[in-house]
Amino acid sequence: MLKVSNITKTFSADGGDVTAVHDISLAVPDGKFVSIIGKSGSGKSTLLSLLGALDKPTSGSIEVDGQNITKLSEHALIGYRCRKIGFVFQSYNLVPNLTAIENVMLPMEFAKTSKAKRRLRAQELLDQVGLSDGKQDRKPTRLSGGEQQRVAIARALANKPKLILADEPTGNLDSQTGKMIFDLLHNLSKSESTTVIVVTHDLSIAGRTDKAFRLQDGKLVTQ
Amino acid sequence: MGLVTRGVRNAFRSGARAFSIIAILGLSIGLALAMLLAHQAVEQKINSVKSSVGNTITVSPAGVRGFEGGGNALTQTQVDKLKTIEHVSSVGESLNDRLTSTNTNLQSAVEAGDLGRRFSQNSGQTFTPPPGFSSDGQSGGNLSFTPPVTLLGTTDPTSLSSTQGGGSFSLKSGKAFDSASTDNVALVGSALATKNNLSVGSTFTAYGNIVTVVGVFDAGNTFSNNQLIMPLATVQKLSTQTGSLTGAVVNVDSISNVDSVTAQVKSVLGTTADVTSSKSQVQDSIAPLQNIASISSYSLVGAVVAGAVIVLLSMVMIVRERRREIGVIKAIGASNLKIMSQFMAEAVTLTILGAVVGIVLGVVAGNPITKMLVNNSSSSTTSQLMGAGTEEAGPQIFRSIGGGVRDNLSNIHASVGWDIILYGLGAAVLIATIGSMSASWFIAKVRPAEVMRTE
Repeated sequence: MLKVSNITKTFSADGGDVTAVHDISLAVPDGKFVSIIGKSGSGKSTLLSLLGALDKPTSGSIEVDGQNITKLSEHALIGYRCRKIGFVFQSYNLVPNLTAIENVMLPMEFAKTSKAKRRLRAQELLDQVGLSDGKQDRKPTRLSGGEQQRVAIARALANKPKLILADEPTGNLDSQTGKMIFDLLHNLSKSESTTVIVVTHDLSIAGRTDKAFRLQDGKLVTQ
Repeated sequence: MGLVTRGVRNAFRSGARAFSIIAILGLSIGLALAMLLAHQAVEQKINSVKSSVGNTITVSPAGVRGFEGGGNALTQTQVDKLKTIEHVSSVGESLNDRLTSTNTNLQSAVEAGDLGRRFSQNSGQTFTPPPGFSSDGQSGGNLSFTPPVTLLGTTDPTSLSSTQGGGSFSLKSGKAFDSASTDNVALVGSALATKNNLSVGSTFTAYGNIVTVVGVFDAGNTFSNNQLIMPLATVQKLSTQTGSLTGAVVNVDSISNVDSVTAQVKSVLGTTADVTSSKSQVQDSIAPLQNIASISSYSLVGAVVAGAVIVLLSMVMIVRERRREIGVIKAIGASNLKIMSQFMAEAVTLTILGAVVGIVLGVVAGNPITKMLVNNSSSSTTSQLMGAGTEEAGPQIFRSIGGGVRDNLSNIHASVGWDIILYGLGAAVLIATIGSMSASWFIAKVRPAEVMRTE
């Protein structure tokens, strides 16, 4: 269960403080596939980075399985991100000089999984997301956008996280490939019992999720 | 794949950049090693010069230099007292004399020429012309004055420091006689041997006695090669100067004790002898070498610092370029330490390859750079040595020292040992460590949330 209570995030800027996320509260049960929608600058990505423990809120709390992650130390947050969170980015953000399978193995290395298990799990995941054997040893530059995003999804699933956070995962893909990626995330959330939160501005995608949250000027306007 | 492997692979992400960094770093480390080699070679030579050349004190009878001036010879009793002075390692004794046609059948290898005749007239000496030549003037005909043959009686037959001509003793054939020998034997200068068709086993007459040639030497100059070297006791006996000495060279155990020993020698001999040490002249002459040692030290530090700056700037540039990637890796669970270690492995890889290139460059260029540095300073050294040879008392000893130091300068050789290679690798690790520090600071500053803001 993900429970967000009254979180606010304020940044200092030259022209004064800017509140990117303002007093947001929400709850997402385990295994649900939800979306956060809103225009550019509405605070979607900031909210996602707070949920993923990439940043700390100015106030409020975020509980994952009853644990308040806003109280965790920097060292504990590294472990939390490593084992409990999977990220999927709009620009894929694969490490360019590693092959597809090496990219998927990377989070498992940080989680101290043995080398043999890493490779086996990475192969399984890449098979699961539909990347054929011949392409698993290719570097990202030799994969299409859709294939790179499949690798990114496999990497996000590597440590069997409780929560996958996807920031505009179809934003750089054509509509057909985007739909395939969306379906993949949707199916994986069911098969892996993982909560998936997708940030998007595509209403058609939002309409197909279990629940959609709308953000406007840093505030939650629709649940 | 571990973080070290990733770091090594990352070093070659951009071939052109890796090549540039390795090449520049290689030059930097190569220069550092060349300077280290030069420093070691010059320091070694300075120590060698200090321990072998500048630690002598020359003692001459008061008022006498070679065959110029006048006064009384030193006595064996006086010189024996010098041997008991603390820090005196040995005392070389000598008695110089001249052989002319009245007391030898040898002919000088040096023609009189204008200078010889002029010196002869000025000194009031007359040279007896060889048989068959008249002595009725200097204006021509077949008259030829022949300078005398210089004879050195010594207890140190392989040292030419007591001779007027100096030079480096090199035995061409035969063997040297024992320092305490009383036999009628002689070492003959190569020019004198050629002139008189002498070789090992040949004989000649001196003071009416038969003397056997036991060796032929080359001193590297015409004057000394026209000399005879015989045992001191033999010369004293044949020339009827038993117990007399015309010179002594006091060898001191260290250049740092030369001043105190000089004072004690003067105290022992009083006004009966002129005492001069070679310390100050040698110190002047090795000053350029010491300058080279200083320059090479500064250059060594400069080259290492330059290498560190190259790696530092390169790594900062690389970290800035990969800021987003660092954010992603942090987002998926990497700690600062792991990312820093990966970048450190990258820096070490580049630096070690640079060190390999640098070691090769250093080994190849070390000797030529050392020679170049020495050659650039040798002209000033030579002028100092010439000054020492003409202005100070006892010119023969300083000519000898000068020749020795000049030889030392030209003989400097930078040798490469394992220590140099280890220094090179050590410098590489130092450079990589310093160079990676700031990169690590930048890495620590990258916040994982930044990856979301660049989306």
